[in-house]
Amino acid sequence: MAVIEAEGLTKRFGPVLAVDDFSFAIEAGSVVGFLGRNGAGKTTTLRMLLGLVIPDAGRATIDGRSYRQLPERTHRVGAALEASGIHPGRKVADYLRVRASATGIPNRRIGRVLDQVELSAAAGRRVGTLSLGMRQRLALAAALLGDPDVLILDEPANGLDPEGVRWLRGLLRGLAQEGRTVLVSSHVLAEVAEVATSVLIIDAGRLVAHAPLQDLLAQAPRRVRVRTPDPGALADALNARGLQTETGDGLLRVVGARPEQVATLAAEQSIPVLECASEDADLEDVFFQLTSPTANTVASEATQ
Amino acid sequence: MITAIRTELLKLRTTRLAIGMLAVAAGWTGLVAAIEASRAGPGGMVPSLATTAGLRDVLTSTGFALIIAAAYGTTVTSGELRHHTITDTYLDEPNRRQVLTAKVITAGLTGLVFGAVGTIVTTGIGLAFAGAHGDHITIAGGTIARYAAGATVGAGLLAAAGAAIGTLIANQVGAIIAVFAWGFGVEQIIGGVFHHLAPYLPLMASETMAGSTNGGMPPLPKGFTPLPFGAVVGLVAAVALILAVIASTTTVNRDIT
Repeated sequence: MAVIEAEGLTKRFGPVLAVDDFSFAIEAGSVVGFLGRNGAGKTTTLRMLLGLVIPDAGRATIDGRSYRQLPERTHRVGAALEASGIHPGRKVADYLRVRASATGIPNRRIGRVLDQVELSAAAGRRVGTLSLGMRQRLALAAALLGDPDVLILDEPANGLDPEGVRWLRGLLRGLAQEGRTVLVSSHVLAEVAEVATSVLIIDAGRLVAHAPLQDLLAQAPRRVRVRTPDPGALADALNARGLQTETGDGLLRVVGARPEQVATLAAEQSIPVLECASEDADLEDVFFQLTSPTANTVASEATQ
Repeated sequence: MITAIRTELLKLRTTRLAIGMLAVAAGWTGLVAAIEASRAGPGGMVPSLATTAGLRDVLTSTGFALIIAAAYGTTVTSGELRHHTITDTYLDEPNRRQVLTAKVITAGLTGLVFGAVGTIVTTGIGLAFAGAHGDHITIAGGTIARYAAGATVGAGLLAAAGAAIGTLIANQVGAIIAVFAWGFGVEQIIGGVFHHLAPYLPLMASETMAGSTNGGMPPLPKGFTPLPFGAVVGLVAAVALILAVIASTTTVNRDIT
């Protein structure tokens, strides 16, 4: 059953069409990575979902209702949209007290969520003295205050150091294991690939792909990495067979081929091969393939 | 609504802006009252504190408390936009009219404190100067209490109006400047040129509510007849309400980006 749904969401800011007829549905218990370049329309989409931006057309619902009409909203949905949106003069615990007061959550939850995001030691500090990474954790703590079933997170890894990113990954995994639905936007692809079960890709305001991560990766062309003392000759031979090649880092990469195919051809041409191995496609490859200007065909195939 | 107001009050208590602006209001009001009191006497700019007019001028010199209350009111709403905290506010309570109503009420309640502190300061200074000069207190306690009530209610209503202005002029600094420009510019020009309009201008009306009849800071033009107390309260309350309704219509469909 779809928990989060968008149908034909469209939003224009002056001359800029930020989101264009964007539709998707997210099943309960899934962790969905929401990918797009900066300015692709991720934040606007999330804000329309949460009733902060009014769509020009279309509708966004959670449990079949708009966010504004959602009963028991705080326990159903937690959102962390911008770490910079916390008053710098307010103390960490006071910020959470305000959020708890506004939503009728008992103050005892504050200590629990501060522990959860490992920020208890900073409870008495003013927000303005926190690093961006700590403010990200604080925003996550606020999102977790109501112990919600659905989490909507906008670029939660911004400002986190490598240790923080690892911590976030663990947190998201833990939330997923508890059966929560997580929609997390990011432009850091590796981070999403680690935790997401499916991926939603937006480009220039339009849906480019929505598919399980493994399905997307399977669609990406495989590459064979070859190390040879004569890459030019091997590339010529491969190109003559209609295979596309790329060079870089002292290596030759063959797109859409199998290692044995490349090795056999090299042997036929008496070109020595020092290394020949397949490279798995990663999310970055898929992303750039889908969001390149010529990606429409692939995108339509990938979109569910 | 009670939850929303309680939350807004908690927001005010957990930052230092309110206490800072209250201190500024008390300081400026005290300075004006002290200057007025020190200039009182025969041959001075202010009649002797032994006279009703002289003592009243000092006791009712709460104009700065009133205008700073209005400026404070603007920060209750515009501050949320300045610090981008409005996103969290609307996530927690998507009913924007309710949020705005709670803010206007909260600003009004806090404004009462500005007015009360202002009047305590002016009354304390006025009575202290009169006592130091050995002047007989010519104003009855009930009248002094009415001045205090007027300043308190006036500051509350102006702060509520300020909260609405802070929604209409989303830029916090711009909203504060607008309030001072209104009090020291627009009202001075209109009230100075058209004396008969002066009692109907919100800040001047609030000053008369606080018992002031002329002079003060911002200054009242000489030679106009203030409206009755109840009428002034109704007038300023109506201004706050109209501004709040206009603010409400603009905030409901505003995109929070």
